[in-house]
Amino acid sequence: MTGDGGRQVLRTVNLTKAFAGDGTAVTAVRGADLALEHGEFAAITGPSGAGKSTLLHMLGGLERPTSGEIWLDGKRVDQLSQARWAVLRRRHIGFVFQFFNLVSNMTVADNVELAAIMGGASRKQAQARREELLGELGLAGKARAAPARLSGGEQQRVALARAMANRPLLLLADEPTGNLDSATSLGVLALLGRVHSSGQSILLVTHDSRVASAADRVISLFDGMVVDDAPMTAPRHPMPLPDVLRLRG
Amino acid sequence: MRMPLLALLAKESAHGYELKSQLEQIFGEAYPAPNIGQIYVTLQRLERDGLVRSQDVVQVTRPNKRVYELTDAGREAVIDWIDTPSEGPRVRDEFFMKLALSPLAGTSDRLGLINRQRRHYLSQLRGLSELAVAADRRIPRLLIEGAILHLQADLDWLERCQEDFV
Amino acid sequence: MRAMARWIRADLRASTARAVVVAAMAAGVVTALLLSAGLLQGATNPWQGLFTATRGAQIWLHLSPGTDVGRLRSQVGGIEAIAGPYPATAATLTADGQRTRVELRAMGPRLPAIGRPLLVSGRWLTARSLPGVVLEATFAQAIHAGTGATLVIDNVDETARVRVRVVGLAQTADQGFYPDQTPGLIWVLPGLLREVEPDAGHTEEVVGLRIADPAATGLVVQQVVTQLGSSAVGTVSTWQQVQQSMARRDPLLGLLLALFGLMALGAAVLAIVNVTSGRVLLQTADLGMLKTLGFTPVQVMTMLTAEHALLAGCGIAAGLLAARLLMPALLGGVPGVSAAAATLPAGWAAVIAAGCFCVVLLATAAPAWQAGRVLPVAAVRVLPPRGRLSRIASIAMAARTPPALVLGARSAFVRRLAAALTISGLAIPMMMITIGLGFWSTLDDVQRHPADIGLAARVTVNPGPLTTAQTLRLIHADRQVLRAYSCVLAEALVPGETTTITTLGMGTSGHPYPFHVVQGQLYHAPEQAVATAALLSALGLKLGQFVRMWFGGVPVTFHIVGRIIDPQYGGQLLAYGRDTLADEGAAAPIGFYSLILRPGVTPSRAVTALMRASGRRLDVAEVPDPADQLGIVRGAVAALIAVLAVIGLTSLVTTSLLGYRDQLRDVSVLRAMGLTPLQVRAALMTRTTVLALIAVGVGTVVGRLFSVSLISAVSRLYGLGAGIGSPPSAWMLAGAVTLAVGAAAVAGILPFRPPGRLRAAAILGP
Repeated sequence: MTGDGGRQVLRTVNLTKAFAGDGTAVTAVRGADLALEHGEFAAITGPSGAGKSTLLHMLGGLERPTSGEIWLDGKRVDQLSQARWAVLRRRHIGFVFQFFNLVSNMTVADNVELAAIMGGASRKQAQARREELLGELGLAGKARAAPARLSGGEQQRVALARAMANRPLLLLADEPTGNLDSATSLGVLALLGRVHSSGQSILLVTHDSRVASAADRVISLFDGMVVDDAPMTAPRHPMPLPDVLRLRG
Repeated sequence: MRMPLLALLAKESAHGYELKSQLEQIFGEAYPAPNIGQIYVTLQRLERDGLVRSQDVVQVTRPNKRVYELTDAGREAVIDWIDTPSEGPRVRDEFFMKLALSPLAGTSDRLGLINRQRRHYLSQLRGLSELAVAADRRIPRLLIEGAILHLQADLDWLERCQEDFV
Repeated sequence: MRAMARWIRADLRASTARAVVVAAMAAGVVTALLLSAGLLQGATNPWQGLFTATRGAQIWLHLSPGTDVGRLRSQVGGIEAIAGPYPATAATLTADGQRTRVELRAMGPRLPAIGRPLLVSGRWLTARSLPGVVLEATFAQAIHAGTGATLVIDNVDETARVRVRVVGLAQTADQGFYPDQTPGLIWVLPGLLREVEPDAGHTEEVVGLRIADPAATGLVVQQVVTQLGSSAVGTVSTWQQVQQSMARRDPLLGLLLALFGLMALGAAVLAIVNVTSGRVLLQTADLGMLKTLGFTPVQVMTMLTAEHALLAGCGIAAGLLAARLLMPALLGGVPGVSAAAATLPAGWAAVIAAGCFCVVLLATAAPAWQAGRVLPVAAVRVLPPRGRLSRIASIAMAARTPPALVLGARSAFVRRLAAALTISGLAIPMMMITIGLGFWSTLDDVQRHPADIGLAARVTVNPGPLTTAQTLRLIHADRQVLRAYSCVLAEALVPGETTTITTLGMGTSGHPYPFHVVQGQLYHAPEQAVATAALLSALGLKLGQFVRMWFGGVPVTFHIVGRIIDPQYGGQLLAYGRDTLADEGAAAPIGFYSLILRPGVTPSRAVTALMRASGRRLDVAEVPDPADQLGIVRGAVAALIAVLAVIGLTSLVTTSLLGYRDQLRDVSVLRAMGLTPLQVRAALMTRTTVLALIAVGVGTVVGRLFSVSLISAVSRLYGLGAGIGSPPSAWMLAGAVTLAVGAAAVAGILPFRPPGRLRAAAILGP
């Protein structure tokens, strides 16, 4: 977890977020220290209410931390204005939510193109990038469809395309498979894997341990604090079939 | 049975009946009531293996009782047992025992215990996931899925334990 | 049933503000419409109410003294009852230094059965109060005399003078309002009349005839005149004339209100539809939940309709109450509007209330039925509208236009129907406001150029004790007077002998009074005349035709050469050079002098100067300026504009709420794509503002186009002819447009909670 700040794509120092409830203050995140290297895929897990989403939203500039520092690619970003954050999100950060990932009154293709245009591409470039992404995701046929007509899994895949439209430094995903059945989740997971293998840095929040296990590193959050942060080790030995049986026995 | 007894003795020396009642007290309904005979047999085996030693205590009004205490080797064994991640469903009980008894052993913090176990499970999960993708026949795949689901359940349970204990 | 009542109660509690809006809208609309109807009725057709209240007579005759009317009933068919004969004489009233022509009419202390004057203040004549008189209400208002005032009355020859006290004011349907129907009417006891004018030869007899069939009035008049002999008949006035006279009291007011009433209806309907259906749409999610709980579609629809019926009912009741309270206050200021007619016309009230209720129910019915039909889950998940990012939008975005503007503008048109409704819901009030501003400009114009509606002369001088020579000398000596015209007032019997009309010989053919001629030309030779449009249509004449009239038995033929606008004398006027009468042998004495003042001189100053110069012996009066009464009209215009603005604003807020709900869904992804919360809010604001801009643009342009032609068309209807209207000034329009668009922008951001809390969206789910 060390390494000089300039090389890590993301680093936080003592990040805290407290909400003022009615009367009582609720601390959603306490003193989180994390770091993510370029090209790393990390998963944040923990029980619901542990503060995972809040943490992720802070890293994407969608929530303002109460205290602490956030460093993105060696530059400090936690004190940036909303406007600067917005610019960051256009070019360098891709964000995928659990729901409402697509603008509802535009087609699928428009959504991806819009993201590209907002990131600075020309119309032609945006169109080309959209075709490329949707093709890779196997959704080329649905380009003209309205988002509401897509299944959950398809919507999430389009959301990924949207988030990846500008080849961001960092991809942040909040429970991307939260709404999906296990089979579709696997599909999205495989997609994430492919994206990762092409060099994308990914930080995702999940309560699905299977998804978490696919990451390079798993960060456990409990009651707002990071309780564990360890790289995933390969299993002790490759598992031949009989071992599985023994496992069940 | 061996390791729980060792763990109990790590805290203080006791004789058979005390150990039995301690076990019952700690595990209550969830654990099948240990047979005092089994306990004595296990204790004797442990003594033979050099992990405990016994001593007779003279009592005036009652028959003598035999008190057992942990040897250094025994203490080592307990620490080793607790520090080593456990396996499988049946061994889950083992993990739970470790979790319940570790403060008595004074060895490691519960959080660290939980973390280590979780990491192990996750690693296994990853292995199984990769295996599941590779599996081309149905029965093995289902078996693997079953194991994955168990593991996921275990991980969830781990979280619950974390909520309660920590 | 109880469950339904419970839900209604809970829902009202939950969205109190929006419910109040619906009720308030209904109340506002009902109030505005009722006030308009009341004003319309009271100001434009006060005759009907008065006639009924006074049990009026349709025909009034001024007969020479001694005419026997006793046998009329048997001689002429169709007469139900005869009022009078009442002795009457002309006299001069002096009050506050002003001298005015009046008619004293003698009546007994007992109010007659037919044509009974309607007391509005004080009490009627009593046998004991000899020096007590009752004034006709409009006359009293004109001379600023109320109950208890002291007046001085001289007879025509100035041989007798009495001091009298006003004991009461009354209204009558016998004649039009003062000063259309000069002289002013004063009721006195017979004893007082004899005191003022002991010479029976100078009194006339006033007789009123109530006939069974009002349509046969002309026929009856002909027969009566034949029976009594035309030499015995001085003047005849029929109910049609009186009605028209009363109706023409303030033609601009009538015009204004008629138009507004009509269009207010349209805007009101739209507003109610907008607000009600918007509210139902916002409730759809709740309704889905209700169906899940087990309410049937019919029950759901009933509940919704019942809830809105309740709101409408409350609103309408409040509106009725408000109208009842406001009506006297509003109408009290309008001169000449009868109190009797100012009560809420019950028929109108019922129609308006029922209409409003029905509109609310209908506006609820369609969405309620849809809500009832839709499957519960589908209702909860309101499907977002389909759309696409148009080429224009993506080009605009690629060209680095602020994304908030582009996204906001395009989202305005995704729901086509809603956009259309919003635009029309705004455009119509805007159009009406523009026309209202047109009225305002027209009023400004009229006040600045009264000559355009025939008010060139502001001061009249009536011949008094001074000789003609003396009068003329005084007039010409005054430097404030630009020109003076000697005028005669002559009653003429028109073809068919059914009515007499007032004609004016203004100036001479060589020196004609400068009427404002809108068509044709002024009279420049004897026997040429100009007439108002109303007279032309009443007599069935066109420009260029000839008409023959009888002046005290002497026939005179006129050639109509021009059309003028003149609101006096009930809007029906024939004017010519007085030498025409003289040539034909029907010369009449000088009735009055019409004075045109130098520019910049106010009439009151001129009057004061002349009075002083003549030692108060000159009978000078200001011509009542219709523009004075326009103050209340301005007030009415302003109030109606305010109502329209509120209607428009409510439409806007409803739209904005709907848009907000749509937008809420997209907040997260927009933020993720790189919009700041401010930009998201700006997009919402842009959405409403774009719709408003279009609506305001359309409404203003259409309103401007129609403003002039509309005013002209209706003024033609009212006999003023075309040529009055003037469009609203550019400044006014710019101001109105800016305000409207500004209000839209504000309405756009009102319902929007700060989008920083993404949790809400996350929790809400799809």
